Amino acid sequence: MASSPRTLFAILIVAALLLVLILYVLPLPGFVKGIMAIISIAIAVLGFTTKYYSYIFIPALKMKNRTIVLNENEVFVMSPAQNSIVVRKGEDVYASAFVRIPVYRSATEMNEQERIEFSKMFGRIVTLSKTPAKFCTQLYVINKDAYIAEIRDKVDSFEEKYQSLTGKEPPEEAERIKGEVTMWHNLYDNVNKIKSQNLASYAMVTALGGTEEEATTLAVQQADELASGISAILGLTTYIVQGEELLTFIEPDHMIPFNTISEEATATEAQSV
Amino acid sequence: MDENTLIFMAFSIFAIMLALMNFGAYGGIGIIVVFVAIIGIVLIFIINYADFLIFPLFTKLLNIKVLLAKGYYVPKGGEAVIKVVNGIYYATGYLTANIFNYVFTAEHLNAEEEAKLAESPNVWERILMNISFPFKFNIISSAEEVQKFRDELEGKRGVLEYHLSKEMESQTPSQMVVDELQSKINTLQTRIDRLSAGERPINEVMYIETTSFGVSEKEALDKLSNQLEHLQTVFGSFDISINRVIGRELHMLFGMNYTLQPESEMSEMFATQK
Repeated sequence: MASSPRTLFAILIVAALLLVLILYVLPLPGFVKGIMAIISIAIAVLGFTTKYYSYIFIPALKMKNRTIVLNENEVFVMSPAQNSIVVRKGEDVYASAFVRIPVYRSATEMNEQERIEFSKMFGRIVTLSKTPAKFCTQLYVINKDAYIAEIRDKVDSFEEKYQSLTGKEPPEEAERIKGEVTMWHNLYDNVNKIKSQNLASYAMVTALGGTEEEATTLAVQQADELASGISAILGLTTYIVQGEELLTFIEPDHMIPFNTISEEATATEAQSV
Repeated sequence: MDENTLIFMAFSIFAIMLALMNFGAYGGIGIIVVFVAIIGIVLIFIINYADFLIFPLFTKLLNIKVLLAKGYYVPKGGEAVIKVVNGIYYATGYLTANIFNYVFTAEHLNAEEEAKLAESPNVWERILMNISFPFKFNIISSAEEVQKFRDELEGKRGVLEYHLSKEMESQTPSQMVVDELQSKINTLQTRIDRLSAGERPINEVMYIETTSFGVSEKEALDKLSNQLEHLQTVFGSFDISINRVIGRELHMLFGMNYTLQPESEMSEMFATQK
């Protein structure tokens, strides 16, 4: 309660005014009055800062090791149905749902009139939601972690096979295994050379609820309404994002997957050497 | 400046002035009190108009970092949100990107606006071709209260109609002024008609977000600065106001990746933006 800007501001301004009142009323020495005036000015300035910094005020007072802790919990949790995320802010529970907008058209295949119409469609989409909504287009690194791991396993297994050749096998068989090793090696080298990126558009809505279930249901309901509106305007099939795909839109380490970038970084380094 | 800010500012400056009015009674340190009061008032204005300078300076000088949530922190410079995963530092930074000159659904597009609108998908694709790192372009929209918006429009129309009638009644009415007023009234009337037809007025905030990575915080932050500079350059082809977001607003934009604020808080944000 105390961290609401108006409450904090009222407390500080009343404190500043009280100090001023005391120095007007009490017969104190001039020096003491001056100090009190400086303190009241400092409190008044501090009071104004609550307009923007009320959320950080109390955590700043509790600061330890030069770290202001605004929230030490996970920023969100995934809902059980994996179709929304749940964020707790004090007593309030918020749920956010995401609608994927798969746009396949390119400006290069449109004439001027189509381009104007396409731009206007976006104007209509952003006015669709009665509640606040976020529309986002995101360029991200495609997660090739699993693919890279699979190729690496193949390389390892065929190299092992090749090294365990005794020389008694038929020459065609040895040749085939050698060919497989070369093939998987080439694939592994090439998969890292190219940076694979994807462009995705999505909309996000948030609902407030008393409980996690209520917030989630409301968010998904709002997302459904928005999805229907977008589908009708753009003439394409939108859907509510779930699971791993959802994380790509909110987590930086899913936007730039760890293994993919480290492999790419190694390949780039090798190329530059 | 919105109503709320005005109240905060008025009360704070009033308290300072009240302390200052008695400066004759402060003896030898009276002059210091005057000096502190002036600094206090200047500080209030700086905090109101450029708090992105004060807060990062404060955290930088005192070497303070802000933990936004488990695993996410803002370093002392206040210029990015950092997440560390498997020893890799992911730094996320933001740019404001409010498009002013593009009219999405204007009543009467002039030739120049129409050309811009037709060109915008091409410009967007050219921008994408020039970016080789992850980024997001975000638009946050929130519907305005229809009745309030309608009342504003009707008020404006009333004023223009009054000016028009005054002009018509004058002995030498200027055709140019009459045409201009008539055109403005028509525009307002079209907007009112669109509201009657069920369209909703909306507020919008646009911003760009990008993420870089590195094996140290410094590397990630340096890469992030390069990426943000690159984005500023390529988005320059749009008529766009681009500024790097630092400090308090960074905390807010980070939060908007996960939840959007309720309409009441959003309207405050839009009011500040205007």
